Amino acid sequence: MEASAASLHAGAGAHVEHEHHGPPEAHRSSRVEPQLLGMLLFIISEVMVFGAFFTAYFFIRVVDASPWPAHGTELPKIIAGFNTAILLSSSVTVHWALEGVKRGNRFALKAGMLTTFFLGATFLFVQINEYVHIGFAPSNSAQASIFFGLTGLHGAHVFIGLCLLAFVNVRAFRGHFSPEQHRGVEVPGIYWHFVDVMWVIVYTTVYLL
Amino acid sequence: MLAKLRAPGWYRAGLFTLAAIAFAYVLVGIVRSAMHFPNAWDDGDAITIVSLIAVPLFVLVGIGCFDYWFYWVSGRPTRPEDHSAHGAQSWKDYFRVNTDHKVIGIQYVCTSFFFLFVGGLLAMLMRAELAQPGMQFVSSEQFNGLFSVHAALLIFLFVIPVFAGLANFVIPLMIGAPDMAFPRLNALSFWMLPLAGLLMVGSFLAPGGSFATGWTAYAPLSTTMPLGQLFFTIGVQFAGASSIATALNFLVTIITMRAPGMSFFRMPLLVWANFSTSLLVVIATPFIAASQFFVLLDRALGFQFFNAFVGAGKDGSVLMYQHVFWFYSHPAVYIMMLPGFGIISEIISVKSRKPIFGYRMMAFSLIAIVILGFTVWAHHMFVSGMQSWIRIPMMITTAIIAVPTGIKIFSWLATLWRGVLHLDTPMLFALGFLTTFTCGGISGVMLAMIPFDIHVSDTYFIVAHIHYVLFGGSLFTIFAGVYYWFPKMTGRMYDERLGKLHFWATFVFFNLTFAPMHVIGVQGMPRRVADYAQQFAGMNLAISIASFLLGLSMLVFLYNMVVSWRLGPRAAANPWRALTLEWQVSSPPPIFNFDAVPTVVGGPYEYGIPGAVHGIFQSPAEAKPMPAGSVATSPTTE
Amino acid sequence: MRRHPIIQMVAIGAIASAIGIALALWINWFPADAAKQDHPIDTLYDVLLIVSIPIFVLVLTVILYSVWTFRMRPGQENEDGPPIHGNTRLEVFWTAIPAILLVSLCSYAYAVLNDIEKKHDHELVVKVHAIQFAWTFEYPQAGGRSVVSPQLYLPKDKPVRFDIDSADVIHDFWVPAFRVKIDAVPGITTRLRVTPTKLGAFPVVCAELCGLGHAVMRSTAHVMTPAAFGRWLAQKQAPAAGGGGAGGGARQLTQQQLVALGRATFTGDGGCGACHTLAEAGTTGTTGPDLGRVLRGQSENAIRTDIVDPNARITPGYSANIMPPTFGQTLSAQQLDGLVAYLATVSK
Repeated sequence: MEASAASLHAGAGAHVEHEHHGPPEAHRSSRVEPQLLGMLLFIISEVMVFGAFFTAYFFIRVVDASPWPAHGTELPKIIAGFNTAILLSSSVTVHWALEGVKRGNRFALKAGMLTTFFLGATFLFVQINEYVHIGFAPSNSAQASIFFGLTGLHGAHVFIGLCLLAFVNVRAFRGHFSPEQHRGVEVPGIYWHFVDVMWVIVYTTVYLL
Repeated sequence: MLAKLRAPGWYRAGLFTLAAIAFAYVLVGIVRSAMHFPNAWDDGDAITIVSLIAVPLFVLVGIGCFDYWFYWVSGRPTRPEDHSAHGAQSWKDYFRVNTDHKVIGIQYVCTSFFFLFVGGLLAMLMRAELAQPGMQFVSSEQFNGLFSVHAALLIFLFVIPVFAGLANFVIPLMIGAPDMAFPRLNALSFWMLPLAGLLMVGSFLAPGGSFATGWTAYAPLSTTMPLGQLFFTIGVQFAGASSIATALNFLVTIITMRAPGMSFFRMPLLVWANFSTSLLVVIATPFIAASQFFVLLDRALGFQFFNAFVGAGKDGSVLMYQHVFWFYSHPAVYIMMLPGFGIISEIISVKSRKPIFGYRMMAFSLIAIVILGFTVWAHHMFVSGMQSWIRIPMMITTAIIAVPTGIKIFSWLATLWRGVLHLDTPMLFALGFLTTFTCGGISGVMLAMIPFDIHVSDTYFIVAHIHYVLFGGSLFTIFAGVYYWFPKMTGRMYDERLGKLHFWATFVFFNLTFAPMHVIGVQGMPRRVADYAQQFAGMNLAISIASFLLGLSMLVFLYNMVVSWRLGPRAAANPWRALTLEWQVSSPPPIFNFDAVPTVVGGPYEYGIPGAVHGIFQSPAEAKPMPAGSVATSPTTE
Repeated sequence: MRRHPIIQMVAIGAIASAIGIALALWINWFPADAAKQDHPIDTLYDVLLIVSIPIFVLVLTVILYSVWTFRMRPGQENEDGPPIHGNTRLEVFWTAIPAILLVSLCSYAYAVLNDIEKKHDHELVVKVHAIQFAWTFEYPQAGGRSVVSPQLYLPKDKPVRFDIDSADVIHDFWVPAFRVKIDAVPGITTRLRVTPTKLGAFPVVCAELCGLGHAVMRSTAHVMTPAAFGRWLAQKQAPAAGGGGAGGGARQLTQQQLVALGRATFTGDGGCGACHTLAEAGTTGTTGPDLGRVLRGQSENAIRTDIVDPNARITPGYSANIMPPTFGQTLSAQQLDGLVAYLATVSK
């Protein structure tokens, strides 16, 4: 914190320098785009968060051999299955939007993004509705805690995904993105696909198995 | 004034703090009303918990971590990068959001050293209490708080971030990049840290005292504790998010922004070390986040993850916490050690004036540690009551992980052999590290042996072991690294005599403090106790006295750093005659690191080869590969 | 010429290792040797010391020798060492040798583990119940009844199996003199096997942080001759053993004897002094309130309730559920009477 003299010196020297140029162009040592790589690594982290929640599931359901779901409770497989279909179709629409912007089809971009957003919102709405009517609370048993924990964690990811989609929508309707510049659609799209795939795993393990 | 409240900065952060508390109050009130709870609007506990999450987030927005992104997502024109947020013109710039990796590096190092001194003071208080059997200065409640906050601060706010700080400063320079891949994310990950630290220190003000369950926060103790526990639970989330974001940034930077010619096997070993550490962080850290989510949900919202009481009929699992926790926290000890290995490789090679011995094996052993590090977590649970067969594979992997560590130690020794050893402060700390860390490594192998571990787990033997690897290991490498890069970071030289005094005082009193703990541990003194049997009185008094002297030796360091930073003689660009790229630019480095990105033409440690260089400031087209350039693994010329 | 330093170092290293090993074996590492499990573990530790000290000495010798021989001398400021990049044979050597060494140590440790955890026929089963912050030992008897005690009594040379559980948080049952420990985990029963071999009293310690009374969660393990153990068990089983005020057959104690028994219980069996300060008994615990202060002027009945149902009323400034509610079961009626009489006397 006491860098006054030293950094003033450096600062003064550099100030003159940046009159004529900014930072040098960084050398690109990999074919992967930084933003794409960043998102992939972030998804690895996210997978591990889910992994920890699945560890809890594994310990309570498999290691301790507790009944699943807890005695006297039932999980709404059909409604959740319907919800799964909604979420999966939103993966298709987001892909349509990306293909659209790559070909310069702005209608496909806008319509695809908007549909994806509303499909995601519907999913979240159905999920919350399911919580209200499910008939048990997380405080009832560890199984209930895991159910709310896993689906709630996924719901939080859907919410984050919806925020990203909202941003993309705003930018798309304001005329951003082009066939050359579409990373802003591609990266949130990857995240959205991840949220979908994760739901399939959650649905299979929590509801079906 | 209004303009000040609108512009990013501390005024706006203050305003947003108030907004966050109001937000928490309203949110809790509305939710509790909607669920028809009695007294919906005056649940202090719930409001505090929501505030603990909301205040740091709002403060981050207030100081301006998110401004650019807000513009971007709303589709408004982002402000053209005028570099006004780049570099530090005065000391005040270190207290603002800044996207320059060199500024962030110094912010990181200073913040984490602040928490080192706080954590060290807490340890002094503990040793004062432990100087005699019986209770003298603090209550057992306060004592449990002291060691919990001590450990949490030193792990999550000192060792892990200080390595991130040093790497933040050095790595872009070392690989020939103008900055990190995501400079704004970098600033955000720094600013989460002081907030996490304030939460942890602030827990002392909570009703019922600070969190007092150790840094391990085992459930179900942690889910039944007073409010202070949640300061840890939530603080760890911010510290964890910060380290994941930094690790992600390092990985992307190292993969995509290396200078032309810098293949993976021409990277300095510090870059390798941070690459492997970042892999560990990205994969493992989510587990501690989840373990603390469980505690938060159990404690605050009545979830039943850990309610296993017979008769309660909730089917919770207590051991699950430990598995999830240690699946992060064992890799975490490598997160706290691998960057130190990198620092030591740099220093030993430069100060012995010899190439690092067995460069490729050094890099591969890092990767081996990363992989094996994920297979040993349950060795912390040999007496936890888990299925007993799990202990056997965990014992074997734990023993085997000593092999790559051993390779590194022997390679450093071979690097010393027949060199020209410059025994200045960084080198002394590096050699001190080699001895103390070998000791800690050996006691680690002993602890892998289940029958012995059954006797000494949860005793002072463990305390001794962890301090030999984290203090004698990590902290010594941090001191070595801080002295080594001090000229580069500040542009000034530190006082060599004070540095040597610091080393010898630290080395001697460190051993006097922690070596006797092995003995009292095996003799049967459990850890985390404020009071102990009379038979351990003599040893504990000796340990306490040594620990106070160890604390005093830190003041030498503090004085040396502060005074040298202000008044030290100006440092040359390359005072150590090192080959790596960070030493090829001025001290401190120019604002964008390089006028033009250098071209790497040889290995980073080609000392002793006449005329060898690592990087040259020419475009790749002009640069000719050096004949001695490749990192040879050829046999020695003996 | 080049052989010379190596030989020198080997010689120095051998001598230093010998001194180091002698020193390490001379240190009195372990507490009392009181169970069959002790010897294999102690021997394992000695072997580990003998193997590791030469490795540590090797590292230290190379460092010190290098510092002494290769340190920069005046005039060498700009010199470099020879550009040695590696030596494959050496690297293979120091990868393979430690690996072999570690695997053999693991095999040895595995054998020791099997040895100390071996099952025996006719084990004495003791149930260990942990609660914040006290131990209760239960000896199941034929006919479904069982004997409970706040201290652990074991017959010498008889294999014992402990079945350990916890009523609240994780604790850890550890008798350092037996070298073995295991967590007491809520929801599961953990097991531990020990064969005591030495008469005497040995501390029982809680080794897992369990809250603010963790440091004082202690008891004592008494290893007795089988005959003495039988007598103790019989005395505990006898229905009239100190049957309180109503015990017609039991020996009536005088008030003085009762107070003396109470004081002994306070500092000994009951373990009250670990948590409570009481000037008369010379105890200084701070987990619970100072009894000399809070019990002043209390009736005998109130004191009795405070002991058997501690949550009935809580001293301001202290929280509920800190004092175990088990003393009504673990102390004999006579001990309880004595304790009440003693506390009433000293707090008059």
